[in-house]
Amino acid sequence: MVLRPLSFVRRALEAMARGPFMTAVAVGTLFVALFTTGLFAAVLGGAERLLAAWAGDVQISVYLRPDADLPAAARAAAQLAGGREVQAVPPAEALRRLRASLGPEAAVLDGVSADVLPASVEVRAPGISLAQARALAARLQAVPGAADVDFGNAWLERVEVLLRRLRWAGLALFGVLALATAVLVSNTLRLGVYARRDEIEIMKLVGATDAWVEAPFLVEGVLQGLLGGALAVAALLGLHALLAPRLAAAVGVAAPLARAEVVPPALVLALVGGGAALGLAASALAVGRFLRKP
Amino acid sequence: MASEALVQLFHVYKQYAGEGPALADATLEVGRGEFVFLTGPSGAGKSTLLKLIFCAEPATSGQLLVFGRNVAKILPRHVPPLRRAIGVVFQDFKLLPHRTVAENVAVPLEVRGLAPRDVARKVAVVLRSVGLELKAGKFPLSLSGGEQQRVAVARALVGDPALLLADEPTGNLDPDRTVEVMDLIEAANARGTTVVVATHDRSLLERYQRRVIALESGRVISDGDAFRRRAGS
Repeated sequence: MVLRPLSFVRRALEAMARGPFMTAVAVGTLFVALFTTGLFAAVLGGAERLLAAWAGDVQISVYLRPDADLPAAARAAAQLAGGREVQAVPPAEALRRLRASLGPEAAVLDGVSADVLPASVEVRAPGISLAQARALAARLQAVPGAADVDFGNAWLERVEVLLRRLRWAGLALFGVLALATAVLVSNTLRLGVYARRDEIEIMKLVGATDAWVEAPFLVEGVLQGLLGGALAVAALLGLHALLAPRLAAAVGVAAPLARAEVVPPALVLALVGGGAALGLAASALAVGRFLRKP
Repeated sequence: MASEALVQLFHVYKQYAGEGPALADATLEVGRGEFVFLTGPSGAGKSTLLKLIFCAEPATSGQLLVFGRNVAKILPRHVPPLRRAIGVVFQDFKLLPHRTVAENVAVPLEVRGLAPRDVARKVAVVLRSVGLELKAGKFPLSLSGGEQQRVAVARALVGDPALLLADEPTGNLDPDRTVEVMDLIEAANARGTTVVVATHDRSLLERYQRRVIALESGRVISDGDAFRRRAGS
């Protein structure tokens, strides 16, 4: 018996054209499943990037004792920070910043001398994790004249915990979603198989092998998955074009919301490829159960 | 009877759950090139016997050899090649309503993996032989019962099967169409195809004067010359 792959594709396309309603239901189901998954991935990824953008600009301040040598401390900090941006902040500059931050309330500082505030060395470390920030802060304790090292640990810890919870919740939700999607898609495709039970029966009675009967269904599953995935990507891109500018204006950060960031090529590939794989697996499950039922 | 047996039954039983035996202790043989009528009243076991031969159902017990292979113990993967050597005309036609006449007839050839050009050529030849060449593009439901029956015969014959099983192939036909269809089956037999026709139409048995196996309540009650003697008396 000769297998003709092109004939399977032709039969799959014919079946899709003959049963537009079932095809639409299957593609629609795959689209909803993939769009929901993609939206979830995009929102989760976007939230992580936004949080990282807000919290990732870690700044470590090394407060010095009054007798400390500021330039020497800055040099030592630069050495310990391994090339990161280091800035020496004399007491006068610290007072100026404090005034600036108080805004209209700055008058309360009138009469306060700059000597009240300690000199400090600031080390900027963008994009590092809490653990890395903690390690760097520990190293900076060795700066000559260092009295205290502060790296905003309370804020960073809260963000880290939030991100960790978000990831776990995301993983759990993704698992539930994937399972529901597989069951839903498989059941939908099983309806399509059931609608063509007479055709399957006749083909088997005239000598078709299970593989011959199954192949067009698998091709159909892949094509429907590709179509559902492509539609999901298109819908995500449309949604992004609609919402991203407004969201960027609202949160004041645009870069993490760029299209290539929110709907990256990897997500596009995952949705289209995942759609094809999902369609294939669901079809195989549906037609396999039908063919091998007692 | 021809010397080489194509179908052999040895004490075959078939019982459906909660019912009496559909076949009981059936023992018979059909030789290569033979033309055999299976006859008997409704429920005698004719259709059941055909179903066992093309592995649509398993026998409950006994041995059933088709082309020398014991189909009682056949592995599922060996069923399709066996079926491709058998043409079957079903009592209810089993045509695909959303496929054209030509597409219906082509199914057994597509299943064999024939090239589309060869499929088209063979389909055209067989449709001409059953007088349906002008209906090739029609859908089965637009045809009369007789025409649908001829499509079913064409589909059964298109693959030049070694064995043709026909279950009441003239059941829906008027006398003229009955003769047309039976002539097609007889012509296939003349070309070397072994034929088993299940029918309760006694006029067919009288007209074609072939070996007759009579069944009643699942049992073989007569085989071979018995009918001819009756018919000749």
